[in-house]
Amino acid sequence: MRRKRSGLRTGGNGVLLRHAMRRYWFVFLLPMTAAFAVGFVWPFLQGIYLSFCSFTTTSNARFVGIENYFTAIGDKGFIYSFWFTALFAAVALVLINLLAFAVAYVLTQGIRGANLFRTVFFMPNLIGGIVLGYIWSILFDGVLRMYNTSILMETKYGFWGLIILQCWQQVGYMMIIYIAGLQAVPEDMLEAARMDGAGRWSTLIRVTIPNLMPAITICTFLTLTNSFKLFDQNLALTGGAPFVFEKGADGTLNTIRTTEMLALNIYNTFYGQGSISRGAAQAKAVLFFVLVAVISVLQLRTTRSREVQR
Amino acid sequence: MKKRPGSLKRQHRSRLALTAVFSVIALVYVFPVFVVVINAFKQNTYVKTQTFSLPTQQSFVGFDNFIKGMTFGNYPFIKSMLFSVVITVLSTGLILLCTSMAAWYMERVNSRVCRGIYYLCVFSMVVPFQMVMFTLSKTADRLQLNTPWTIPVIYLGFGAGLAVFMFTGFVKSIPLEIEQAAAIDGCGPVRTYFHVVMPMLRPTMISVGILEIMWIWNDFLLPYLVLDRNSYMTIPIHIQYLQGSYGSVDLGATMALILLSIIPVVVFYLLCQKHIIKGVAAGAVKG
Amino acid sequence: MKKCLLSLTAALVVLTGLLSGCGGADTPSVYWMNFKPEADAALQQIARTYQQQTGVEVKVVTAAAGQYEATLTAEMDKSEPPTLFVVGNSAALDRWGEYCYDLRNTPVYNQLTTDDFTLYDEQGRACSIGYCYECFGIIVNKELLEQAGYQVVDIKDFASLKTIAEDIHARAEELGFDAFTSSGLDDSSSWRFTGHLANMPLFYESRDNGGWTQAPARIEGTYLDQFKNIWDLYISNSTADPRTLATPGYDAQAEFGREEAVFYQNGSWEYSNLVENYDMDPDDLAMIPIYCGAPGEEKIGLCCGTENCWAVNAMASQEDIQATLDFMNWMVTSEEGTEVMAEQFGQIPYKNAAPNNNVFFRDADTYMQNGNETVDWVFSYTPNVNQWRAALASALTQYCSGGPWEDVKRAFVDGWNV
Repeated sequence: MRRKRSGLRTGGNGVLLRHAMRRYWFVFLLPMTAAFAVGFVWPFLQGIYLSFCSFTTTSNARFVGIENYFTAIGDKGFIYSFWFTALFAAVALVLINLLAFAVAYVLTQGIRGANLFRTVFFMPNLIGGIVLGYIWSILFDGVLRMYNTSILMETKYGFWGLIILQCWQQVGYMMIIYIAGLQAVPEDMLEAARMDGAGRWSTLIRVTIPNLMPAITICTFLTLTNSFKLFDQNLALTGGAPFVFEKGADGTLNTIRTTEMLALNIYNTFYGQGSISRGAAQAKAVLFFVLVAVISVLQLRTTRSREVQR
Repeated sequence: MKKRPGSLKRQHRSRLALTAVFSVIALVYVFPVFVVVINAFKQNTYVKTQTFSLPTQQSFVGFDNFIKGMTFGNYPFIKSMLFSVVITVLSTGLILLCTSMAAWYMERVNSRVCRGIYYLCVFSMVVPFQMVMFTLSKTADRLQLNTPWTIPVIYLGFGAGLAVFMFTGFVKSIPLEIEQAAAIDGCGPVRTYFHVVMPMLRPTMISVGILEIMWIWNDFLLPYLVLDRNSYMTIPIHIQYLQGSYGSVDLGATMALILLSIIPVVVFYLLCQKHIIKGVAAGAVKG
Repeated sequence: MKKCLLSLTAALVVLTGLLSGCGGADTPSVYWMNFKPEADAALQQIARTYQQQTGVEVKVVTAAAGQYEATLTAEMDKSEPPTLFVVGNSAALDRWGEYCYDLRNTPVYNQLTTDDFTLYDEQGRACSIGYCYECFGIIVNKELLEQAGYQVVDIKDFASLKTIAEDIHARAEELGFDAFTSSGLDDSSSWRFTGHLANMPLFYESRDNGGWTQAPARIEGTYLDQFKNIWDLYISNSTADPRTLATPGYDAQAEFGREEAVFYQNGSWEYSNLVENYDMDPDDLAMIPIYCGAPGEEKIGLCCGTENCWAVNAMASQEDIQATLDFMNWMVTSEEGTEVMAEQFGQIPYKNAAPNNNVFFRDADTYMQNGNETVDWVFSYTPNVNQWRAALASALTQYCSGGPWEDVKRAFVDGWNV
């Protein structure tokens, strides 16, 4: 899609604008690129370099080769947190999108107070991760106290706690996107379906949802990356508790924080066992980055391809 | 199409029922915020034991928690609030201006390098902050980007990804003809941008702006590690300081400060919610 | 395309130019990276006083709770890194050793009254020196103990402690108070047990091995039965239901302050809280050793040690190092300095220490003078300390809900790997 358009642009009058613009690169492109280089590219490259080093601070890094990567992959807690995160992302993806869609669908049926509901549902987005974690840990514990337990005591509480928190925050946002998508579904197509005698369900499935694919693409993308990068909420709500212990092949005891997600695992490794582990943490971060990048690309490609088919 | 009166009535009734159901859900939705409000007025020890009950005579402490939270340590909370506002406003403004310009440029020029930068930006969206946190704080320090007035550059750099992604998505949908007409009329690119492109980008600007405001206002680790810690704090950092070194937290005061930090954003939201919601919708769908 | 490339390179050139171009400060100054949020206000004050007197700038920055490593790591990388920071245990020494200036024979080092709180590395360099120390044990409300018909001197060992505690617990309703405060296992309280109480079995094991000088590769857990003794005593002689200990909401300090219990395991730092916030009479307070049934325990004293150790940044400029050493010396010799130290940090191990009125330190001294052996803080040798403690807390929680003691053992012994 992209290529076709830019092909158009090279011909005709597009050239005029393009040539004029190119001379102004320092106005348009430079500020953002310079800041991007400072705020992202440079630290990122240095981060990749550090993943091959043993270091306490970035100033005293010693090159050690790829051993950090072996340490990272050999870490059971890291592998566990990967699966935990994947499960979380899958559940969050489905739940958030279903709920957001359902709410959006109802709100676009012209029910009374729709605007008010929309306002309320969107509001949690304004509250930040650490604060959200504090609020919900008090809420959950207030409830679980009655059953003499706490969110920190069982993995399943932590997991569902995080899911509920994430839904509470994200459903509103995705709902807005779905509402916009639903309002953009051409009325004549809906009318035509009704004329054909299609019921509510078949209209929904045959007409509405295919027309919603762009909204679905963006929502799944956002929920997926948000879930994978979740950190503040995880830190503040469970901090990884409860822990279990697993005896490794060499007899040492591995501690696995059973509600720890990838970002938190990386963070914890930074302050874990001696200076070697900082390199391992950096290696984990690189692996994590690659993983998220691959997932995002795959996800965008599959949903986008559906869009085109339409 | 004609509808039978019976079905209309039924529909009407089911809509009312839905409104009722949604009212309940909405109440549940605001409940957490309500809990923060009631607990902000309770004495510390009652926050955990009587989380859901209204302050009683025994547990009610008036505005003590607010006073305690605001005067804790030697750093006035009002200063933290001020810096939070400065950082959020400046950063968001800078991001909106620079990334929309860059996105327009990259989409229109569309050279290989521009595409390269674009994809780099998109990739930066998925990089965990933990990966760059130390190298970033060092770079920021060397470049003196460690004050509320210069930290926006860091936010621009680290936050460029999402903004560029969303702006580019929108620019793609703008018909080229308008810009070309401006060019033919003798408008230079800079004027074309400010007079033609920027007004069209408004919905996306709002949408991106909201996202950035939400992120920057609530951000903890980045300002914590980057800012010159001797002179500057933000609200989330301040809240974190209520914890003692032995893990004891004054929950009452924490709730009070949380409430104080939520109020500005909620007011802001209620004032411009129309734009916000429109912006979020427009930006996302086109993106 | 060329222009795009140009812009990228230009950006990078500007960046690298700026990166290499900036220099440090010129006048010598002190930058103290403090780790106690509670002490921040007082330290800022003392920094101003010092600056007024000597003209040397002292900057005090406090890390938020739980963020000391992150803060220190980030700050150490900056152009004006901390010159004075905290290296409190052997794990921190491993990490920050090469940043530690050798403090041997510096004026402040020569002011020390004891070598106990100095951390040396393998080459014998004095990497960090304690600037204060603390004691922990079982805090007793003497007034309540007397109401129950006992005296502090009646408690001589675990057996007598157990008898008294069980008697008080049995009569709790009639007396209106219980034996022990709740032993909360949530984050705000679990360190009292996974850090401090766990020091007892570690201490005895270390003593059997001639005293550890560095973290042992593995431990045996020889004294875990004694650990179980005291833990069982704590949880079964208090009003708190053992199964609920990990739920938040327990506030042992408040229970003790409101005179709901006689015994409260905690440290000397609680003194000001108890006296100021709960109006307790200092004369009613005493601290006794933690008896757990180990042989020869009648002759032990309180657990004294510190994780508050000053290290000087060896990578700082010579002038800054000198300024920092001067400041440290001033803190432990001048009138203003020692006063603040006594007020904020309690007892300091220096010749000119100002007196402080904390009764718990007096108790510690009494035990020492009576020839009782001070219990070292050997828990500072714990490798992966946060992980180990969290694992132990988790195992204790499960034990309290009916899980096997075997899990506690596993967390304790197997979790200890360097």
